[in-house]
Amino acid sequence: MSRTVRVVVVCVLQLVLVGAAVAPSLSARVTGQEYVLEVAPVDPIDPFRGAYVTLDYPGLVQPEEPREEGTVFVPLVQAGDVWRGGVPQRDRPSSGPYLRCEADFRLRCGIESLFASQETARRLERQLAEGAVARVKVDGRGNAAVVGVEPR
Amino acid sequence: MGTQSISTKRLDWLERELTQWQGDGLVDADAAGRIRTRYAAGTRFSLARLMLGLGAAFGGVGLIWLVAANLEQISPPVRFAGITALWLAAVAGAEVLAARRPGAAVGAFRTVAALAFGAVVFQAAQSLQVPAYDAGLVGVWGAGALLYAYATAAVAPLVVGIAAGVGWYVWLVAERTESVVGSAVALLLAAVLTAAVAVAHTTWRLADFAPPWRLASALLALLGLFLAALPRLDDTDLPVTRVLVLGAAAAAVAAAAAALRADRTGQRELAAVTVATVLAVLLIAWAPPAPDDVAQLSGEALLRAMTAIAVYLLAAAWFAVLGVLRDAQGLTQLATGGLVLFTVVQSFAVFEPILSGAALFLTLGAILAGTGYLVDRGRRRLVADVEEVPA
Repeated sequence: MSRTVRVVVVCVLQLVLVGAAVAPSLSARVTGQEYVLEVAPVDPIDPFRGAYVTLDYPGLVQPEEPREEGTVFVPLVQAGDVWRGGVPQRDRPSSGPYLRCEADFRLRCGIESLFASQETARRLERQLAEGAVARVKVDGRGNAAVVGVEPR
Repeated sequence: MGTQSISTKRLDWLERELTQWQGDGLVDADAAGRIRTRYAAGTRFSLARLMLGLGAAFGGVGLIWLVAANLEQISPPVRFAGITALWLAAVAGAEVLAARRPGAAVGAFRTVAALAFGAVVFQAAQSLQVPAYDAGLVGVWGAGALLYAYATAAVAPLVVGIAAGVGWYVWLVAERTESVVGSAVALLLAAVLTAAVAVAHTTWRLADFAPPWRLASALLALLGLFLAALPRLDDTDLPVTRVLVLGAAAAAVAAAAAALRADRTGQRELAAVTVATVLAVLLIAWAPPAPDDVAQLSGEALLRAMTAIAVYLLAAAWFAVLGVLRDAQGLTQLATGGLVLFTVVQSFAVFEPILSGAALFLTLGAILAGTGYLVDRGRRRLVADVEEVPA
């Protein structure tokens, strides 16, 4: 195999790696249904991706003590114009929308960060403090991605 | 045959040797003159390499920084397409240059390509709002850079790949094991694995790939020993997780396979890092009862601290020696830096309960100066011994 062919093959493999790294978010964006959840802010910086707002979801129930680590599924239940999380469970729900989350000291469902420029992040933080909702896309396997945040 | 650029220092050495050879009757004046015409001092060449390397590193880091700037005037898909195009342009540019005019510029393009791949990963994750501080993204960047390095047999992407890979591993270990003990053992197992890769490269193929792997191995081993030697570990129970067991098996198999065909130095290299791992585990298991008052260090605790210092000192000295044996200056500097840092931390940990204020700093100063003197003296003697060994 010539070096050029090797390099082309490696570039394709590298693109596959990029796809694999962001697969859950990409799947949620492309194939998911949209849900609206209540949201609240915290704000730091990621060294590689810049400013972001950490999102907290008051409507998602945190796992009870003693916490078991690992994958849990959180069924989504509609409450008025927003959706809330039901009790986290180990088994995948047979029907209805749900989030696939990793549990440690808190739930991590792939929707905890919203990247934006520093200026926008500051504006979002003020907006979120006054009450806001997040538009989240969730696919059939519980993978979720934040699409946007807006005032309630 | 054209003139080859070499450093002024090496040219001076060649001139001295040629004079000696002529005096010994090994070469005549004509042959010595022809040898001289083959080499020229290459300061400008080195400077060009340095500038190209720095330029590529700054450019690549700039691309990642550009991603972090989150330019909202441009839509996320266009930003992703733009960064991907820049990455592919760097890859293609390197290949075109390598085919037409191999040289330092090819390495610069490949450095940009390896760093730009990281920018592609981070741009994709940013555009899709993948949660922050995801270690996996750094791991993907490292894996991609390593694939590219092995496909092109290029050292620059290998350095990027190893740096990102080691960064990812340390991050993952710290996040997952949740204990100092687990982190120390995981780091030492990785040190054995990377040492095996370095020795395999030295013995089999791609010898230029051995030094970065060797440096990574030394860094991981010194980090692991540093943690294992800490005097007051909160939890001394080794968490036997599946990841650690698999890591131990992989490290053992890789070290055994590499040792089979390694030269004597390679076998010693593998043996040293394996012994360091075993000693670290024994240090971890040796847990003297912690006193209620830090000022009352027990005799056993003091003995453990002294043993830990001796183990770390031996390991650092070995890596300094290996740096001389393998002609890897970076390794010697890393070992010396690690030793200084370790001495400072241990001195505070051991003497802080006994001494205070000025006495502590005077003791620390004396220990550092003494260590520095001994390390420098040892290094000079070793270099002199190596230079005296007949070829």
